[in-house]
Amino acid sequence: MALRLGKQSHLGKKTTGRRVLVAASIAVTAALVMTGCTGGGDNAGTLPTVNVGLILEPTNLDIRTTPGIAIDQVLIDNVYQGLVGRTPTNDIVDVIAKSHSVSDDGLTYTFPLNSGISFGDGTKLTADDVVWSIDQVRTNEAYAGNADLADVASVKKDGDDTIVITLSKPNSNLLWALSGRAGLVLEKAATNTLKTTANGTGPYKLSSWKQGDSLTLVRNPDYWGDKAKVGKIVFRYITDPSAQANALVNGDTVVQTQFDATLTKQLESDPDLVVHRGKTTDKYTLAFNNAVAPFTDLRVRQAIRQAIDVKAILKTIGGAGVAQGGPIPQIDPGYQNLDSVDAYDPENAKKLLAAAGQTNLNLTLTIPNVYGTTVADVLVSQLAAVGITLKVDSVEFATWLNDVYTNHDFQLSYVDHAESHDFGNWANPEYYFGYNNPTVQALYAESLAATDPAVVTAKLEEAAKIVANDAPAEWLYTATTLTVIKKGVTGFPTDSTTARLNLAKLSVKS
Amino acid sequence: MIRFIITRLLLLVLGLFVASALIFFTLRVLPGDVAQVIGGTQATPAQIEAIRRSLGLDRNVFLQYADWVGGLLRFNLGDSLVTGTPVATEIAEKLSVTLPLALLSLVVGLLIGIPLGVVSAIRHAKASGAVIAISAQALAAVPAVWAGVLLISLFGLALRWLPTQGFPLDGWDEPGRAIRSLILPALTIGVIEGAVLLRFTRSAALEAIGQDYVRTAAAIGLTKTRALLTHGLPNVMLSVISSLGLQIAGLIVGAVIVEQLFQLPGLGRMLVSDVGNRDLPKVQGDIFTLTAIVLLVGFAVDIAHRLIDPRQRTEVSS
Repeated sequence: MALRLGKQSHLGKKTTGRRVLVAASIAVTAALVMTGCTGGGDNAGTLPTVNVGLILEPTNLDIRTTPGIAIDQVLIDNVYQGLVGRTPTNDIVDVIAKSHSVSDDGLTYTFPLNSGISFGDGTKLTADDVVWSIDQVRTNEAYAGNADLADVASVKKDGDDTIVITLSKPNSNLLWALSGRAGLVLEKAATNTLKTTANGTGPYKLSSWKQGDSLTLVRNPDYWGDKAKVGKIVFRYITDPSAQANALVNGDTVVQTQFDATLTKQLESDPDLVVHRGKTTDKYTLAFNNAVAPFTDLRVRQAIRQAIDVKAILKTIGGAGVAQGGPIPQIDPGYQNLDSVDAYDPENAKKLLAAAGQTNLNLTLTIPNVYGTTVADVLVSQLAAVGITLKVDSVEFATWLNDVYTNHDFQLSYVDHAESHDFGNWANPEYYFGYNNPTVQALYAESLAATDPAVVTAKLEEAAKIVANDAPAEWLYTATTLTVIKKGVTGFPTDSTTARLNLAKLSVKS
Repeated sequence: MIRFIITRLLLLVLGLFVASALIFFTLRVLPGDVAQVIGGTQATPAQIEAIRRSLGLDRNVFLQYADWVGGLLRFNLGDSLVTGTPVATEIAEKLSVTLPLALLSLVVGLLIGIPLGVVSAIRHAKASGAVIAISAQALAAVPAVWAGVLLISLFGLALRWLPTQGFPLDGWDEPGRAIRSLILPALTIGVIEGAVLLRFTRSAALEAIGQDYVRTAAAIGLTKTRALLTHGLPNVMLSVISSLGLQIAGLIVGAVIVEQLFQLPGLGRMLVSDVGNRDLPKVQGDIFTLTAIVLLVGFAVDIAHRLIDPRQRTEVSS
């Protein structure tokens, strides 16, 4: 018993010891909380750091073999540059090329180069780098942009400061293609791993990529053009809309792209946060599987289009979009207002369904879960009003790619087609839409072959009208993108930010 | 004792092996593959097939499994299909967030659960004890997401004391900011785990109070509290330790959700995005690492339990 009592006193001491330890650890934690306040300003000299919230993170950084706009968004214009580039409203501008000219027959493109250009690793850019870069894309089928260069017969240098591209037949989309992946200039002699690093001629250099978290660019001090005004840009990948709002209010980020329009109220506590609305080519498309019944019947397709009230859908997404009656969005060539084609008319939709003998239609909508179900819920009730029972199948994006995109195993599909100039999908019977109209295909081919921009636009307009009348899909809306920018931050683009973010002019008032 | 350890070790190895097969073959049932994700909506079927070939996805699935297990035996988890970086490097980097988070949560859980559990047992007949027990019951039922949102809105947005999301870019090179960014997530998991632990401790302590040796100690002049703390506590701790194996599995599941909520670059968040990308070597590596941690903790708990509890030691030797 004595032993036990002895143990007891020992235990008593131990408890006191533990108490001190706990108290000490609480004190240390508290001290850290008090002192470790706010970061910022890091080590890039006196130039500021800008924290930008983005949503979609690249799977890897390989600009050559990995398609997808998440890479374009951060690396094109900022790290990689091409002969030509594009503005936020999709006009072509010269970048590495000093200017460009096209021969009258539309077969020869001449690009004199700017001088004094060097890559991020310090190597001087030569005409050979340009020829090699474009040839790589042209000859390697696995490279993104390869198909865009199908009509290119040769890429040659004329002296040391001019590039000449010759086509086998005219292609009105060539400059657009060169402003994308196909025209980017990489260093021939470089040996860096494209999947995790990047070496281009842009105003910034890639400093680090922490997967699942952030990607950091630093100013290129030897840039050949106007040097960047900020020292560092940190792109933070934040997928949750509330977390984005919190990060802005808390000051963790000063810019957020693609902000959820229904959450703008959460920003009201900070009067310095300004919400900007910008144009995009993000086409939220409810596609029908045109190759299978009941969508082989025009009346069924028209009925679904007429059953859908786009205005109500725009309301549920907080007004962050505009109606898009046809396949081409406002800032792409060939746009015309087609909103009156198959406009909202539920009574007529019922009549069309009755005429088609489809009064009790059961359909399934396959939708990647990244889009949420807000819009799908509205579609369910709107289609129910005309007697169509819609089942919503929310799946992972990888499953959507497998079932819908690759195997064409679906009835209705809902995704965002973000790419600009992608009308060609409607002229491709192999695409998952299953839409096959030879007239549209011929018109699209003619638009590509035209050398006069006016003819290009006219052909596209004509084709788009036919597509709209064929009702192979319901174009729910073109998204308006919300960019939240803190006052004092300037030079951040607000149009087409889902595709490109040229941050060469970004600056912060201190 | 040695025989006991050897049996447990064999069970551990068997468990890891079964887990590897389950993980590998279950994942092969998922629709969609990494080649399609890499290709996206602009790639042609020929391009996707080329990607698939270059990644070796067209090879026999049993050969792929044999390769993977062969790598595991050499502590090599393979390379990511998407970025080409070694899976083990990626996991090690993410564990530098997830392990501290789990440990911190465990500390919070223990600090809340054990003292309050003992107090509520001692005062089980009083109002204060009942209040503690009922609050624990309620708290244990709170989903981590909800608790997290409450903590964010209070400490992050209203009081602005702590960051609501993210981890410092330089990681543990900025220890102050790193710890600050883990406090709210650790509280989120820790408070709920603590409530579970509290109920465990409470019932173990209640049982101990009813035991003869505690009553005897009280009879020789100790207060009831003293008697319980001195003679009952070792027994209480035994049942707490044996529940820790389950608790740690709970912590890790909690970490997956909470990392998502607080945008922490940890193993859980990486796992979610790897599944989305169908980067199977990484998903396998992530899940296998988590499984191994849970099994190893279970193993350690078994051994510790055996070492601490004299009754079990005698059973073995007799």
